[in-house]
Amino acid sequence: MKGFTALRIALRHLRSRAFQTFSVVSITAFSAGLAVALFLLAQGLRLGLIRAAEPFDLIVGAKGSPYQLVLNTVFLQDVPVGNIPWENCAALSDDARVGFAAPLGFGDSYRGYPVVGTTPDILNVRVRASDPPWLRIGEGRWCFGESEFEAVLGARAAAETGLRVGDVFQSSHGVVQSSHGLAAGGGYGHKHEEKYRVVGIAETVHGPYDRAIFVPLGVLWKIHDPHHAHEDEEDGHAHEHGEAEEAHDREVTAILVHPKSYTDAYSLAVSFQRSADKQLVFPAQTVVRLFSLMGRGEAFLSAVVWAVGGCALLTVLLVLYWSGAARGRERALLHVLGVPRRTLVFISWLEGTAALLAGTLLGELAGRAGAGAVFALLSRTTAVTPAVPLTWQECLAPAVFLCAGSLGSLAAAWNGSRTHMERLG
Amino acid sequence: MGQSPREAPLLEIRSLRHEYRQPDGSRLRVLRLDSLRAFRGEALAVAGPSGSGKTTLLHILAALVQPSEGEVLFDGRSLRASHPSSARWRALSVGYVFQDVNLLPDFSVLENLLIAGEISGVPRAAAQERALSLLRRLGLEGRRHNRPAKLSLGERQRAAVARAVLHAPPLVLADEPTASLDAENARAVTDLLLELCGESRSLLIAATHDEAVKKRFPRLVELNKLAELNKEGRIVP
Repeated sequence: MKGFTALRIALRHLRSRAFQTFSVVSITAFSAGLAVALFLLAQGLRLGLIRAAEPFDLIVGAKGSPYQLVLNTVFLQDVPVGNIPWENCAALSDDARVGFAAPLGFGDSYRGYPVVGTTPDILNVRVRASDPPWLRIGEGRWCFGESEFEAVLGARAAAETGLRVGDVFQSSHGVVQSSHGLAAGGGYGHKHEEKYRVVGIAETVHGPYDRAIFVPLGVLWKIHDPHHAHEDEEDGHAHEHGEAEEAHDREVTAILVHPKSYTDAYSLAVSFQRSADKQLVFPAQTVVRLFSLMGRGEAFLSAVVWAVGGCALLTVLLVLYWSGAARGRERALLHVLGVPRRTLVFISWLEGTAALLAGTLLGELAGRAGAGAVFALLSRTTAVTPAVPLTWQECLAPAVFLCAGSLGSLAAAWNGSRTHMERLG
Repeated sequence: MGQSPREAPLLEIRSLRHEYRQPDGSRLRVLRLDSLRAFRGEALAVAGPSGSGKTTLLHILAALVQPSEGEVLFDGRSLRASHPSSARWRALSVGYVFQDVNLLPDFSVLENLLIAGEISGVPRAAAQERALSLLRRLGLEGRRHNRPAKLSLGERQRAAVARAVLHAPPLVLADEPTASLDAENARAVTDLLLELCGESRSLLIAATHDEAVKKRFPRLVELNKLAELNKEGRIVP
């Protein structure tokens, strides 16, 4: 008998036992899909978060939770830890160990998109030394210098707010939970009177800063200066406050620090360990630490997935065994017609393996689709863009399932190949 | 029908015995046939009461079961059920008709014939031509695309006969081929077997307990019910 005929018989059996085939395919697809989706979610999230943290070598912020500082500064989530005086940024810029220090000020927002006050120093940020600048203008120009109330929108902020170059908007004070996750929002804070003019739109950075609205840091200080609101009315009075007092009010939420070398980075970390009111964090390390904390949950979920896979495998093998047993007469008939036992085994094995393979491929697609849907949701709400290429690790669980199922199918086929001639009557 | 005086027998049986070991250790002797010679083109009916070993004899002749004692020579060569090539030999040399389970249920009548042809090594085009010719002759041409479940018992048996003779095997075995048929269908199927095997000069051996069928066969082999032996080899009363 030719292999093609064996395949035809196997496929015809699968088609004629549609419910059994459907059961095997769907159980396999469910198990494989679950394993693939879990793996992709864990890996994609890990890679997405690490990628988002890449432009940030070191972050200096107020003492508190390093996770909160990273969440707020890198991912633009959660509320700011607190502010630190501007002098820290100036001091870091002058530090011989620092390449540049870019201040970041948070607290305002426009329709849920965070307003990030900063200085042109942020344009020095590069993911790798050989890479182009992390932030690049896509349309218009940057907002640092010519006039005060100017803004540059992140690619996503521009696309989703509909603001274009030349448009004006008013930001609001405060950070609230919006439909787009934890972000600055206009819900509870008052709306500032000042209007920003959009002068540029940044190219996408494929990360949370696509949702940012960049403004000059000095403008944020001005808006939040308690005397500023009355400047127009009481111009002379406002200027009575001395320069020293003004400087005292200037604060930043975080400082993005680019050390000159690894040694300098660790030297800076040691310096900040002694600080009572400030902290220095390595964002990438913090993200990894966060994942190692979450890793226990991930390991538990993995164990659950493997257990589900094991149960599914047993069910599939039972279905294949009984399905094979029900075809004893047909096998006996084929044997009488002259089909050797090894070919009968091959046909039964082919049936089981074809169904398992179809289920595994379907599971792989469903797992990818499921993870893709979660990623899309995550990307929409946080602008973290998790994506993972097809790797062998992703296929491990489905491959183990397929191999184990195929071996089990072979055992069931061998057992069922013992033809009982009495069944032919 | 019959052999020429100088022709060697296609089938020769010498001192054939077969017994089954039962779960309690006793042995059930089911077949005893001291001698039989049969030639190409002959038609033999094997008769006997239930348990006399008719089906077992056919299984032995198809190299599906190895006899406990004795020897079966086919075309001068000893049959060995355990031999790796026994399935191949069966595919080439034997056509088999059962009492009822004859066709693969998931395939059409025509596909059943073509699969059998392929197993027997008949080229696809030749098998197709021969299958259609047989089905036409058996009045089944219009049912060739039907699955067996859609056919009547008589139609199924006729289709089974067509499948058994498709590759014109030297030996055709039929195990109670008319047992589940009414008299008219039984006669039709018997006639078909005799006619088609005669045309291809196949040796036809049919197990039957139907008197009407027995009478249509030129030769009759009677088997007797044998004794059951206990563990010590004594006859169980």
